[in-house]
Amino acid sequence: MQSSPNMLTKFESKSSRAKGIAFHPKRPWILVSLHSSTIQLWDYRMGTLIDRFEEHDGPVRGIDFHPTQPLFVSGGDDYKIKVWNYQTRRCLFTLNGHLDYVRTVFFHPELPWILSASDDQTIRIWNWQNRSLICTMTGHNHYVMCARFHPTEDLIASASLDQSVRIWDISGLRKKHSAPTSVSFEDQMARANPNQADMFGNTDAIVKFVLEGHDRGVNWVSFHPTLPLIVSAGDDRLIKLWRMSDTKAWEVDTCRGHYQNASACLFHPHQDLILSVGEDKTIRAWDLNKRTSVQSFKRDLDRFWVIAAHPEMNLFAAGHDTGVMVFKLERERPASAVYQNQLFYITKEKHVKSYDFGKNIESPPMLSLLKLGSPWVPPRTLSYNPAERAILVTSPTDGGTYELIHLPRDATGAVEPTDVKRGQATSAVFVARNRFAVFSPASQQVDIKDLSNSTTKTIKPPAGTTDIYFGGTGCLLFITPTTVTLFDIQQKKQLAELAVSGVKYVVWSNDGLYCALLSKHNVTIVTKTLEQVSTLHETIRIKSATWDDSGVLIYSTLNHVKYSLLNGDNGIIRTLDQTVYLVRVKGRNVYCLDRNAQPQILAIDPTEYRFKLALVKRNYDEMLQIIKTSSLVGQSIISYLQKKGYPEIALQFVQDPQTRFDLALECGNLDVATEMARELDRPQIWSRLGAEALAHGNHQTVEMTYQKQRNFDKLSFLYLATGDQEKLARMAKIAEHRGDFTSRFQNAVYRGDVEDRIQMFKEVDQYPLAYLTAKSHGLTEEAESILEACGLTEDQITIPSLQEPFKVAHPIVPTFKSNWPVKAAGHSSFEKALLGEVNDEEEVAQDSFETGDHDTAAVLAKDTMEEEEEDASGWDMGDDINVEEDVEFVNVESTEAGAGSSEADLWARNSPLAADHVAAGSFDTAMQLLNRQVGAVQFAPLKDRFLEIYKCSKTYLPASTGLPPLVNYVRRTTEETDSRKVLPAIPRDLETVASVDLQEGYAAMRTNKLEDGVKTFKRILHTLLVNAVSSDSEVEQAKKIIATAREYILAMSIELERRSLSTDTPEGLKRSLELSAYFTIPKLEVAHRQLALMAAMKLAFANKNYNSALGFANRMLANGGSPKLMDQAKKIKAQCERNPQDAIDIEFDQFAEFDICAASFTPIFSGSPCVIDPFTGAKYHEQYKGSVCRISDVTEIGAPASGLRLFVPAQY
Amino acid sequence: MDPFSTEGELLNIHNAFHSGQYQNVVDFDTTALSTENQLPARVLKLRAQIALGQTENALEVEEDTPDLAAVKALAKQSAGDTDAALQLAQDLAENYPENNTVQVLAATVLQAQGHSEDALSLLSKHQDNLEAVALIVQIHLQQNRTDLALKEVQAAKRWAQDSLLVNLAESWVGLRVGGEKYQSAFYVYEELASAPSTSAALSIVGQAVAELHLGRLPEAEAALTAALEQYPDHAEIIANTIVLNVLAGKPSAELEAQLNQIHSSHPLLIDIQEKSDLFDVAAAKYSPKVSS
Repeated sequence: MQSSPNMLTKFESKSSRAKGIAFHPKRPWILVSLHSSTIQLWDYRMGTLIDRFEEHDGPVRGIDFHPTQPLFVSGGDDYKIKVWNYQTRRCLFTLNGHLDYVRTVFFHPELPWILSASDDQTIRIWNWQNRSLICTMTGHNHYVMCARFHPTEDLIASASLDQSVRIWDISGLRKKHSAPTSVSFEDQMARANPNQADMFGNTDAIVKFVLEGHDRGVNWVSFHPTLPLIVSAGDDRLIKLWRMSDTKAWEVDTCRGHYQNASACLFHPHQDLILSVGEDKTIRAWDLNKRTSVQSFKRDLDRFWVIAAHPEMNLFAAGHDTGVMVFKLERERPASAVYQNQLFYITKEKHVKSYDFGKNIESPPMLSLLKLGSPWVPPRTLSYNPAERAILVTSPTDGGTYELIHLPRDATGAVEPTDVKRGQATSAVFVARNRFAVFSPASQQVDIKDLSNSTTKTIKPPAGTTDIYFGGTGCLLFITPTTVTLFDIQQKKQLAELAVSGVKYVVWSNDGLYCALLSKHNVTIVTKTLEQVSTLHETIRIKSATWDDSGVLIYSTLNHVKYSLLNGDNGIIRTLDQTVYLVRVKGRNVYCLDRNAQPQILAIDPTEYRFKLALVKRNYDEMLQIIKTSSLVGQSIISYLQKKGYPEIALQFVQDPQTRFDLALECGNLDVATEMARELDRPQIWSRLGAEALAHGNHQTVEMTYQKQRNFDKLSFLYLATGDQEKLARMAKIAEHRGDFTSRFQNAVYRGDVEDRIQMFKEVDQYPLAYLTAKSHGLTEEAESILEACGLTEDQITIPSLQEPFKVAHPIVPTFKSNWPVKAAGHSSFEKALLGEVNDEEEVAQDSFETGDHDTAAVLAKDTMEEEEEDASGWDMGDDINVEEDVEFVNVESTEAGAGSSEADLWARNSPLAADHVAAGSFDTAMQLLNRQVGAVQFAPLKDRFLEIYKCSKTYLPASTGLPPLVNYVRRTTEETDSRKVLPAIPRDLETVASVDLQEGYAAMRTNKLEDGVKTFKRILHTLLVNAVSSDSEVEQAKKIIATAREYILAMSIELERRSLSTDTPEGLKRSLELSAYFTIPKLEVAHRQLALMAAMKLAFANKNYNSALGFANRMLANGGSPKLMDQAKKIKAQCERNPQDAIDIEFDQFAEFDICAASFTPIFSGSPCVIDPFTGAKYHEQYKGSVCRISDVTEIGAPASGLRLFVPAQY
Repeated sequence: MDPFSTEGELLNIHNAFHSGQYQNVVDFDTTALSTENQLPARVLKLRAQIALGQTENALEVEEDTPDLAAVKALAKQSAGDTDAALQLAQDLAENYPENNTVQVLAATVLQAQGHSEDALSLLSKHQDNLEAVALIVQIHLQQNRTDLALKEVQAAKRWAQDSLLVNLAESWVGLRVGGEKYQSAFYVYEELASAPSTSAALSIVGQAVAELHLGRLPEAEAALTAALEQYPDHAEIIANTIVLNVLAGKPSAELEAQLNQIHSSHPLLIDIQEKSDLFDVAAAKYSPKVSS
């Protein structure tokens, strides 16, 4: 018997005979119970053995997963039923009771029941929650081989070697075990009815039907998931189909084909198929409706014992003599083709449909391909020809067939195609507008055909070719198991060959420049000339791929959507619940077909790969954009940046001190590294920092790390090398304190301190050495006193010939005073972009080295560095120091570590706001900020504000007597303890300004105290200029108040100017009239505007400028207000209307749009040139550019400015 | 036995000293004390007098014991004779580094004159001397090494959990750390300020400062106003009231003048003067392109 071409084996295991199989309902797991007493838990997707459970004695035949709980049950030849928890990997308990082999065990779909069938001729139901036997069903008079619950009803089917299949009704049992209230009187009566009870008076489970028809023992029985059908398999080699109604059951038909005992059978969960296995080594599929064999699969040597179906997916597993196999009956990949914005695909019903990506619309079916191939075999591939609007479809039936069909112009339903060209081939693809290529492996021949299906050319592909794909215009790709070949059809010439094994699919990029070759576990990206660009490996199967427009390959595995850049960098985009086949990606949408051939849209977050792409392309602007707009702080991005050699960029994202430390070391940023090391404070960290600092020649940091590590020997040596005699002396003292003579000796040698050496030798009773030392250094007196102390004379000892005593050389240059000059850590262009963008106010570190000395210093540094490094290699020997708790040293260390930076410094560091810098006492940077932000140049008016803010930045807490009070810094971030986020409290917040100062200003306007008013509003401006607010909306509010203050100051200044004017001359009078008119222009509160209008109206009227007065009166009336005002306005209006003429011609057109120059108080008509103050927004005539704003008194008119900042966003 | 432990005779006088009730310390009846505790009690009384600004007694003490010599050094420092004080303190630190009083008082003098390193190395020789711990904490805080101060406090808490000094030192650190620690510091000072046995200007200022940091200005104002009535000449109360007034947007000039009278070298005043000069220097760098 020929094995089916369609059955796809997904997994095979090698073991002893497999007797029971169970699929996990959700995870890709399968339990296999073996004849050898073992239970295996496999991940069939990954092909790995997850666990083994070995507590049964002898073969284990029954196995089942619980549908929801992490449990499974097994039954074996040791008569035992065991319930296990696969999470804790333990057997929870054992159910004892059966008196012979247990054949099958199954969980009830909802109730806490286990059903077991045994050779002791009974079927039993157990409650696994209270671990009790709740029902024993007797009636079979031979081994019961199988017993199963009905998936929805209270029925059980059992199969026995007594040749019968029995159907049992267990509704009584369910009632008995459900809530007692539900048992009505009738129910009790019915149950008490003796007719329905079995021979033992048991009413819980009663035999409903006995199905007789098998001539031999029955091995297996299964219910249909939805229909009232039953299928059974017996030793008579037959598969029998039974149907039942409420009252009776009968045999429907028999499937004949197995030529040995049939061991197990089941219904296909979704299709009208029966599957059976037998000892004739075959798996067979039968048409449920026709009862004819549809497919069969044969193993050479192994008899099949059991078959199981996955509850949801199209997956089956069969157990045989040497293991299990997990398989599919058919391919689930829908055949599809993409052309521009359209997807053409073949549905499960074999209808050809199209889908529009842009509109997200599915077309109605265009064609029905039901006649293509056999009904159970879906088409394999689809190739689309847009020029002819034709499709090529291949089907694997009968050794492979293809059909060339023209699509109808309009989709009118699933019509049968009329004009079909067909032929024999496994692969068929369009290669040009009017040509297609077909290939059949049997003949190893590629035919190029025209659209009338006649062969125009024949090509001999490389030996072993299994498939062909489109290879770019006029070209073909030949796939062999180990290579891919690019072939030019016109020239009949092989263009390139690449060794890639097992390629199954080929996906071209949208621009046709690149192509992805997919095999089971590998993706190889090649150029259009078949040059390999990159390759990547996946442990789980790769299903499909499609290209992003930017040249990123998006591919799917069984459970993930992933991406790969051209350089092979890849990562996960999202997980998948079910397998899908990607067809296209656009923006944040991935379009795919699911296994039911339905188009679906998956939302993805392309940030990560876009970021990486930008990084690879060094597109810093785009990176910056991405960083600013999305949260990109995952570990994966950080490690990626690190791996790719961009630690300085990664540093921007990281918060975790350990990672920051690692990154800082990697990019040589010692400042950050030191800061992080302080935070972490672990010996290993200090040691690494020390090594790095040493390499930099930053010996001050090295010193600190040695101190932290209590590395006395290294410290001494460092001081020696840097010539720091003072500290070396201290080291000697410390060594003395510690009683460490070796160290003391070393220090004494380093310092050239002979006396101390002698003293030490004496202390450790090394008189000969002491004497020798004294003698050799010419300390005769000392030498003699030693001799005396030992009771010896000079004659009694022999000493080696003395040479000139060794003198320790001292470094000439006082190296210890400062570090080696190091080139200021350069910012990468990205960092610059980032810093420039995020904090353009940040001071750029000044290079503290004068350029003149630079070269020589560098040379010197280089030489000495080398020496130092040589020395450094010898330093490691001193590692085995005895680290005792040494109180003195701890404190030496801590003081030498020096004072930290005060919180005020942190404020300045943490914030780009001028106010925060002021609070930190950093007035100069605050001024710089204000200068850049709003062009502030004249700071004197701000002095009070500066001092005010500074004054309240600190509190004074008396602590120990005799010492000045402790200074603490007042924060506005009272909840914050992270030193990178603390910010100072700023007095006179926006709310105070709005509720107090602003009202004060209004009151001054109302009460005609204009001088005070100007002062108040200027104070408001100054207060807001140096301030901080807590949200973006408050920033807006602040800007509104600034604008209001500007208008009031302008208005009041105009009026004050007018009042100071003498009106004796005609010019003076004219100007006075003009100014009173301008007074009405600034945007004041309506009530205040009325005051201005009233004044202007009266003045104009008094000077017989009736036309102007009329204009003001009209405006007053339009504004409305108190009756008194209105009356006056009406009166004047009435009088003016009689003679609307102006006696004095003034420069004021009440109908024109204009602003008032805040310096000259003359109109700036719209369209005429003007300059603007960057802070207040006040307008001026051009000649005032560069002078100080008359409104703010602080800022320079027309200065370039980045805009006032008042708010520090949280992520800052 | 530790003279300051809860069973010790000196507990009360000691607590009174550290909660700032200096007059109570001066008036303390020490006649009933055992002979061995007479000297420490006398030292405390003298220190209280110095804290009250009465240095005469302390300046006249004979230098026969290191303890009294240390007191004298402190008195000289307090009286403005800083060079002599430093000299004496350095001698004492050299000769009697193990003496508790010397450690604390000499270190105070050293620190007051900016020799933090020497002060710390002297203090580091202490054996379970809580005053030394507190001083170490303060010095660390003045050096802005909150981390080290925190370590010191935590180490001390292991052996002297309930001691007043440790609680105070923890509050000092807490007011630096901020966040929830503000509240804990507030509780410590509030408790001190509300109990008559420990209530003093010191504790009220502490309470008010904690409230200031917590952003609770009205409460801080209430505490400081009450304190000003009670101790009208207390420099820290005035200084913190100035800070409070500025924060709340109220005038502070009068108080500044008052502070100038009482304690013209208060850090607040000095600081403001420095910054005022700094402002003028910094502002001079800028000028408009066109002068009008």
